[in-house]
Amino acid sequence: MANEVYILRPGSLRLPPEHVEVHDGESLNMTVIVLPGVSAQIPLRVDVCGSNASVTLNGLYLTDASDNVSIITDIRHTVSGSTSTQLFNGVASGQSRFSFFGKILIAQDAQKIEAYQTNRNILLSQNATVDTKPQLEIYADDVKCSHGATVGQLNADEQFYMRSRGIPEVEAKVLQVISFLSPVLAGIEDESLRASLAEEVENEIRKMSV
Amino acid sequence: MANDILLEIKDLHAGIGEKEILKGVNLTIRKGEIHAVMGPNGAGKSTLSAVLTGKPMYEVTSGSITFMGKDLLSMSPEERSWAGIFMSFQYPVEIPGVTITNFMKTAINAKREALGLEPMKAGDFLKLLKEKMAFVKMRPEFAKREVNVGFSGGEKKRNEIFQMAMLEPKFSILDETDSGLDVDALKIVADGVNALHTEETSAIIITHYQKLLEYVVPDVVHVLKAGRIVTTGGRELVDAIEKNGFDQFQ
Repeated sequence: MANEVYILRPGSLRLPPEHVEVHDGESLNMTVIVLPGVSAQIPLRVDVCGSNASVTLNGLYLTDASDNVSIITDIRHTVSGSTSTQLFNGVASGQSRFSFFGKILIAQDAQKIEAYQTNRNILLSQNATVDTKPQLEIYADDVKCSHGATVGQLNADEQFYMRSRGIPEVEAKVLQVISFLSPVLAGIEDESLRASLAEEVENEIRKMSV
Repeated sequence: MANDILLEIKDLHAGIGEKEILKGVNLTIRKGEIHAVMGPNGAGKSTLSAVLTGKPMYEVTSGSITFMGKDLLSMSPEERSWAGIFMSFQYPVEIPGVTITNFMKTAINAKREALGLEPMKAGDFLKLLKEKMAFVKMRPEFAKREVNVGFSGGEKKRNEIFQMAMLEPKFSILDETDSGLDVDALKIVADGVNALHTEETSAIIITHYQKLLEYVVPDVVHVLKAGRIVTTGGRELVDAIEKNGFDQFQ
């Protein structure tokens, strides 16, 4: 299956399919991009029901003002021999709310599974809220799984390093946010789409209250 | 003579929070001079470089720093950079997702904007970048690498000297630049520092060890202990410290 990118902009919400099945030997690579001015619930259920199958689910979000966004992933490995990787990075500013619920289920007898999940969040304002809830349900024993979730602020040392090179504080913060989101954009295979999205994301960051 | 003074620190008291670390530092640096500040751990060396560059969290409680006739302490870190101050960091920071090219372009054009100049033309910038990379013997492919990500200790320090060459500072602070470097990397760094040094520019080398001072010869050497400069002399002080350590100075 191809590398699918779903972009949610104000007035143009291209939502990903709520439920996808991935069969023997197939791979799914999906990226979700949520730009400021959007409030949405985004459920993503993937049933990995074949072996030698791989799933990559990536996403980035930028929320500002009173945006309210939830991403709810539900990856179910039902047979042996597949992998899934999830990476969701995002930045909440203004009075926005973001939540991430990420479930990985590995059925009994679904052995030799690798399933990884990462959700990293940065709060740019004291009034923004982020909830992150990873959930692993593992009923098999020969599997490799991990999840990691962080909520933090922009790194002060990084900011000072840039400012000491003459980069003004606001510009340093913009670069930091770009840097933070870059691993998600790096997962988009189509080079020209990746470049145009990087530009759009950068423009949106510049409009946000950093 | 007064016109020759680039930087003047007077009775500087500074620290973090309630803790006073610098307890009355006086230091005058003239154009063209290289100074070394040596001292044991905990003497206040890092605090001195932090205060010179305006690192947040550090508080100056009294005293003054004048740079080219201006009150340095009232300036933000970026304003200090635009005025010609540069620090080579002891621990250069990794910035994933930001290439060296993009980082330097942003830095140089921010300075030009602050000085009321147009952004540099892309072609001119790339020419400058290539020239300065060659100058510090950095391989051209580093231009596309993310800032300091996956760099060895030597590569990180070389990248600091490369940035120094790009920004052409009037006053450079080399903060423990020699720590963690092998002799080859140390020589490249020292060659860079020496080649960038002119009669109009000055540098301060802040260090625990004498290693770098074998290659970059200081005009003036200060010993910093417990937040004060306890001795000032010439090159011979470096040898005295190497022989008998810091205990001989009170």
